Amino acid sequence: MIELPSRPDRRTLLVGLGAITAVWVVLGLVFPDSWAGVLLSIAANPSTHTTMLRLAVPIALAAIGGIFAEKSGVINIGIEGLLIVSAFSAIIVTFWLGSGESTLALSHHWWGFAVGVLVSTLFALLFAVVCIDFKADQIIAGLAVWLIALGLAPFVSRIVFDSPNTAGVGYFQNVTIPVLSEIPLLGYLLFDTPPQVYIMLAAAVAGWYLLNRTAFGRWVVASGENPKALDTAGVDVRRVRYTAVLLSGIFAGLGGAGFALGQLGTFAGGGETAIGGRGFIAIATYLFANYHPIGALLGSFLFAGLEAMQFQLQNLGYAVPTELIRTIPYATVIVVLVFVGKTRLPEAAGEAYDGDED
Amino acid sequence: MRDDLERLLERLIHASVAERVAISVAALVAAILVGGVLVFVSGGFASCRAGLDLAGVTFCYNPMQVYYELFLGSLGHPLEGDWSPMNYSLATTLRQTTLLIFAGLSVAVAFRAGLFNIGTQGQLVIGGLLTAVTVLFAASYVPGGFVGTVLLIPIGVLAGAVGGGLYGAIPGALKAYAGANEVITTIMLNFIAAGVASTLLSWRFQDPDSANPQTRAIPEYAEIPNVPVVGFSGRMDFSLLALGFAIALMIGIAWLLARTSFGYELRTSGIQPKAAAYGGVDEKRMTVASMTLSGALGGVAGAFWVLMEHGRWLENVPALGFDGIAVSILAGNNPLGVGAAALLFGVLSSGSNAINTATDVPPELVGVLSGLIILFVAMPEFFRMMGRRYADVGGPERARSTGGEADD
Repeated sequence: MIELPSRPDRRTLLVGLGAITAVWVVLGLVFPDSWAGVLLSIAANPSTHTTMLRLAVPIALAAIGGIFAEKSGVINIGIEGLLIVSAFSAIIVTFWLGSGESTLALSHHWWGFAVGVLVSTLFALLFAVVCIDFKADQIIAGLAVWLIALGLAPFVSRIVFDSPNTAGVGYFQNVTIPVLSEIPLLGYLLFDTPPQVYIMLAAAVAGWYLLNRTAFGRWVVASGENPKALDTAGVDVRRVRYTAVLLSGIFAGLGGAGFALGQLGTFAGGGETAIGGRGFIAIATYLFANYHPIGALLGSFLFAGLEAMQFQLQNLGYAVPTELIRTIPYATVIVVLVFVGKTRLPEAAGEAYDGDED
Repeated sequence: MRDDLERLLERLIHASVAERVAISVAALVAAILVGGVLVFVSGGFASCRAGLDLAGVTFCYNPMQVYYELFLGSLGHPLEGDWSPMNYSLATTLRQTTLLIFAGLSVAVAFRAGLFNIGTQGQLVIGGLLTAVTVLFAASYVPGGFVGTVLLIPIGVLAGAVGGGLYGAIPGALKAYAGANEVITTIMLNFIAAGVASTLLSWRFQDPDSANPQTRAIPEYAEIPNVPVVGFSGRMDFSLLALGFAIALMIGIAWLLARTSFGYELRTSGIQPKAAAYGGVDEKRMTVASMTLSGALGGVAGAFWVLMEHGRWLENVPALGFDGIAVSILAGNNPLGVGAAALLFGVLSSGSNAINTATDVPPELVGVLSGLIILFVAMPEFFRMMGRRYADVGGPERARSTGGEADD
């Protein structure tokens, strides 16, 4: 019960990360042939940045969605499952419709994308019913959503493709904004990029606005901190929580479907699936960001950046122990959790609200 | 807040074993029904030569046949002629049951201490690798034959327990001393375990004569021996001795939790951490201790997977740790319930092979089913509502649950 006198916190972590980065940059500049120098040149490489932005999509969007659910008092640990179902259904619907063609003047990639978001939202609805109306343990129900998705994607895939992996359906085209894409340094990064990156950037701003600048955002926070007060004020807690959980499904769906169609192009359903724990990384990300949507976007760059550098290292043919390097983002999640472990959860998070009592 | 807590505690006390069993059975039935619908509907999207034609759509899969294969196929079709209890399917079922008892106990022990150990999978991977490596190393110093068996198997199991236990202690310590949420850390440690184990394998332990990522085979006398005369044949990779050990360990854990002061403190920490701390339990040490015990049990699962099933460690470790979560939740985290739940999941696991050979339905169905079972077990309120609505269905449940709730 005794608190450690000086707990490492978010600020220490940021300062620490900054210090490590500074040392690394100095070492890399002074000794360009050392490992620090090689890593620095990879980190400075524009293609690392584009890869990072694309890899950040599922993490950032799932994290923003998770913020809404958890702020409203429903811990959605099944967000990994939402990423899986949305990514998988986006791919399979695009495949069914025929990739490269379009219906009603809309490319089939976009129809697949829409269905992916819809399926994720339906799974979130199921999770909401189970947690809010049937008062299930949120952690166990979230695990169940994950495990169902983990089984369902390869199950359906095997029916259609006779294999846990789907066929390839190609990728979204880059969307280039004239003039803006000519801006030095940032232009190619932000204005000549596949659509899911725009969606991610827009969603982060929208999520921030919704949570911090609207009445609904205040209700979400109140529903997680003090549902009884919200109830007394005449707002339906159940409704707020339903909406927040559905929002988490929509955001995660945008992330999963966008990632699948913009980056993966196919879905590997074996083992941990192609999503590979990004939903759980998203949870660590929003805890790290202390439930701030823009912070979650920036936090996702940390994990996505590590992954992008690993890809680049492999692409450039460096003999690195791939399996070991691949664990670095996961280990980073643990480090982050250690530093932000005492993040204050919303007061009523994890508890079902029973409005009929008293 | 306090009212909620008191009501919860009251309900936990009044929730009798009968209610728990009723909820688990109801959850199982519900999962099977939903799974059946899923099988039927997905059959409409599959292509086949003969099926059930309804409204212009051909439904290829027959859920009844799927469940027939799942439940009876896993026992080797006892209703058909020429059945012998020593058949391969039953051996597979019992082998999975044995491994799932260890994995389920691992999850259950942590759960009872109020901790979600999703990391049994990683503990099993690390424990199993350490078992294989230790036995391979020790085999060169130990005589072969019977003496080798008697020495190497305990060494191997111990190595697995130590490896899994240390790996389980990590999230325990992170939770206790840094407040890092164990659900996320254990999931991350699963990924890390797979990466580290595979790196270690290619660094030093890969079998040079094989293209498959695996260690060299341990000597045959270091594998769990079969019981002569009444046991299964050696080629079936199942030994009654292992099942016996699993059951003994299960009873031992049940005794530890129910009858020892350590078990009492562990359970109190799970139900009421504040009361436990007030009663003098060192909360942090208890967190580390229960995660270590939980990890050790996961490591034992890995050890038996190596010593009984393959005689070596393979990189492609089955998802026993995740099934262990389902086993424990279905068992209400009761060690003795774990035995029954492990048998059920052993049937599902072995039955998925039967489905694969006898039908066109993908064996991944079993993964969906276990997810559904967890989902339904997580919402007892659903069954209470159903019970209230149709009083004759849930009679005893209803009486119990209303006993604990003031406002019904």
